[in-house]
Amino acid sequence: MRLLWLSALSCNGNVHSLLNYPQYEQWQKGFEWLYHPLLPSLHTFEEVEDGVKGCDVLIVDGTLEQNLLKHRRPFSELLERYATEAKHILTVGTCATFGGIFAKGEAGRTGVHFCGEARRGEYEWFWQKSISLPGCPVQPEALAGTLSLLAAGEPIPLDELRRPKYYYAYTVHDGCTRNEYFEYKIDEHRFGTLEGCMFYEHGCQGTYTHGSCNKILWNGLNSKTRNGQPCMGCTEPDFPKEGLWSTPKHMGIPVRMPLGVPRRAYLTLAGIAKAFRIERFYKPLMEEE
Amino acid sequence: MARTRLELIEKIEGEAEVLYEYEGERISFAQIRFLNSRHIEKILQGREPLDALVINPRVCGICGHAHLIATVRALEDCFERVPLSQKAEAVREMTLSLELIQNHFKWFYLTVLPLLGLEAPIQRALEPSRLAGEMIALMAGQYPHNSYAIPGGITGEITPVDLLEFRARLERLKLLFRQSLIDVDLEAFVRCERIEEMLSKEGDLPRAMRHILKRGWERVGQSLDHFIVFGGGGLFTEGKSIGTRLQESINLRYLKEEALEGNAAKRVSYRGRYYETGPLARAMVLKTPLIREAHRRYKDSLFSRILARICEVPRLLRYLETLCDGLDLSEASYTDPGPFPASAQGTGIVEAARGSLIHRVTIEEGRISRYQIVTPTQWNLGNGTRENPCPAQKALMGLQRNDPAELVFKAFDVCSVCTTK
Amino acid sequence: MKQSNKTERRLQIISGALKLFAQRGFYSTTIPDIAGSIGMSAGNIYNYFPSKEILAQEILKTISAHLGQQIRRINDQDISSREKIKQIVKIYFDTAEKEPEMIDFFLRVYLSNREVFGQGCEGMICVNDFVTEIMIFFDDGVARGELKNQDFFSAFGLFMGYLGGMVFLAGEKILPQSLDAYTDDIATNIYNALKAQ
Repeated sequence: MRLLWLSALSCNGNVHSLLNYPQYEQWQKGFEWLYHPLLPSLHTFEEVEDGVKGCDVLIVDGTLEQNLLKHRRPFSELLERYATEAKHILTVGTCATFGGIFAKGEAGRTGVHFCGEARRGEYEWFWQKSISLPGCPVQPEALAGTLSLLAAGEPIPLDELRRPKYYYAYTVHDGCTRNEYFEYKIDEHRFGTLEGCMFYEHGCQGTYTHGSCNKILWNGLNSKTRNGQPCMGCTEPDFPKEGLWSTPKHMGIPVRMPLGVPRRAYLTLAGIAKAFRIERFYKPLMEEE
Repeated sequence: MARTRLELIEKIEGEAEVLYEYEGERISFAQIRFLNSRHIEKILQGREPLDALVINPRVCGICGHAHLIATVRALEDCFERVPLSQKAEAVREMTLSLELIQNHFKWFYLTVLPLLGLEAPIQRALEPSRLAGEMIALMAGQYPHNSYAIPGGITGEITPVDLLEFRARLERLKLLFRQSLIDVDLEAFVRCERIEEMLSKEGDLPRAMRHILKRGWERVGQSLDHFIVFGGGGLFTEGKSIGTRLQESINLRYLKEEALEGNAAKRVSYRGRYYETGPLARAMVLKTPLIREAHRRYKDSLFSRILARICEVPRLLRYLETLCDGLDLSEASYTDPGPFPASAQGTGIVEAARGSLIHRVTIEEGRISRYQIVTPTQWNLGNGTRENPCPAQKALMGLQRNDPAELVFKAFDVCSVCTTK
Repeated sequence: MKQSNKTERRLQIISGALKLFAQRGFYSTTIPDIAGSIGMSAGNIYNYFPSKEILAQEILKTISAHLGQQIRRINDQDISSREKIKQIVKIYFDTAEKEPEMIDFFLRVYLSNREVFGQGCEGMICVNDFVTEIMIFFDDGVARGELKNQDFFSAFGLFMGYLGGMVFLAGEKILPQSLDAYTDDIATNIYNALKAQ
């Protein structure tokens, strides 16, 4: 399968993220890079600008900007040319998908199909063959895996934002080692400790952010929330929100509820769970007994 | 009118354009342009200070961690005093060092060897980079793009199990260094001062350097011979060196940034002069024996520049070992520094893979009112004038038709994504 | 016995016990007293509630559910926080006048005999229905920009403490007028204390 990677306004984080895919060398045997921003490729960028043939999958990363010029031709021209030819278009990273951080830098910056949550409509003609792989950066397994599934001709169930469910049906909360502190509503969390949940005070968005961060661990072994950093919601259309390190609350009640959980149900459960004050959760995990 | 040629420089971090001017077959001048900016500095304005810890790593996909550490230092500088444990400080040094290591491996195997026409199996870049990523993830949750360094320490607690996993990977990293780059005893190599000794070893580094000598390129790419290092305190020391004349004290007061028309990168100078920053500058300021010897023979050429970057790897590996040995896990990872000051200014300096990285923040009424980032690229790849060129320009000027211009340029480890204004 | 009969019996016990507890206090009321007041045998009451403590807890849950349900109806309406406050105050005072034993139980048994509600009513479990609705009322008010975003208990204490205090004064026959005469003023005071700046 032949891949062509086009970067718009990007930090190159998605490029480096893919290089961290643990099975990269094995995986890449099934693919050829018509163009990749770092790795050896079949063509130079100037050749890509002039037009190369045979693009099966177009990978787009970075935020789009009107009149963006990479070298000699407008970025939009390259995007349209290769989107026409490609069987699939992957918008990789939150920038290319929703606009992301850099969309906040200038008016008119967007993702390919979305500007935040809103559908742009400009590229409706290739919506049906597009797949969204947001994340800042994308998880390497989500990108490599989606490409492998496409190469194998496997159907991929998508959500309404065209994210593959295999990777985005979960919430970042799923599999977090701090889950019990959430379940039993232990609302103290201090940085630099193994204990506690960042949902109540420190802005963790894991319970309503779609992603596999705690299922497919980063770099094969860890995640931000396991480490003690709040999930910043980087796979979602509204990334980055403001005031990322504190939980927005109304009179002590978190404004955002866990995904799909009605507020009344959450508050009822929280009231019950909180009442029990289970001793185990108030002790250091590593205390010798 | 001089003949000109516009060339796209790709497969760096992002792209840059170089407009070469020729006199006959000789490059008489070269203008460097970065076309796009993502406006990170602007995006930060009006935000809560801690948001910078999330936004700033996204300045760069390959050195985002350096941006995180520079950010946390700038934010901590806003407080009167931040209680920071030695453990937290050491762990930050560890993850920062690992980012340099993965950068150097990628640059050597994905950029330098292919330009020399030498065999460059990509797994020699990817395996050590992945290992470094894993080691960062052990301490910081993930790589790239985490926000684990916060004012007062680090977000995670490190257990002996984490350290065990970390050390096992460090051993593997040392082995990979010897297997692929140069087969030497790390300890001895850090003290090595003979070029011939380095050249006589097995490995891709001596192979590359021998190739450069064979092609007669060892004096190619000489630049301003002005070096500057702002980030001291860890493995490096601050100072500036004009040739080998070292001056240890420098002051940020003399740093000047100026916007250029038609260029997304601002030009930066120190006391009105341009300087090279990065591994060669660090080695010159540290007086690293092997690099001083390369400089004595070939000046600040691509030979010295390439050698200096790779020779940081064994020093960094040794540094990681020292940091692990000195880590007292019983210390606190984090000590609450108290509420963020409503009005303050702070500066954070870090030695990133490509050189000195400076972050400056101004807080007013609890919000970021101004954020300024000066990246190594602005020093090395600035766009000066014919009479007063910046380092990479100077290195390109005077090259002949058969000289490896792209290699000379990329020996600075070019990065365009750090245009931040 | 049919299920509906059982449920009815249960409610009968709760309502009888509620009256006695509210009048005499927890410790001065016995299960035989309760049985006598509703024409039932003490043994039969134990078929429904294994102990006096559990009976008291069930009463508390019933009151909480009763008030919670009424406040929920208010929460579900598209009206201003100011209007909601007025309606909540009205419900509370109406209950205090028409079913004074409910509020008396709350004040004289629940708040005075915390030991009875230790196991089984930890934290606010037994008053969860009521507290949840108050939380939703606060949350909506802040979200609409009508109420000040502050600590939950500061707001909750102000609201409930004020209402409880007035009912107490009424119960002690100290208030010159009936409770409902104070509804508007008190609702205004509470609103002024909670409103956004």
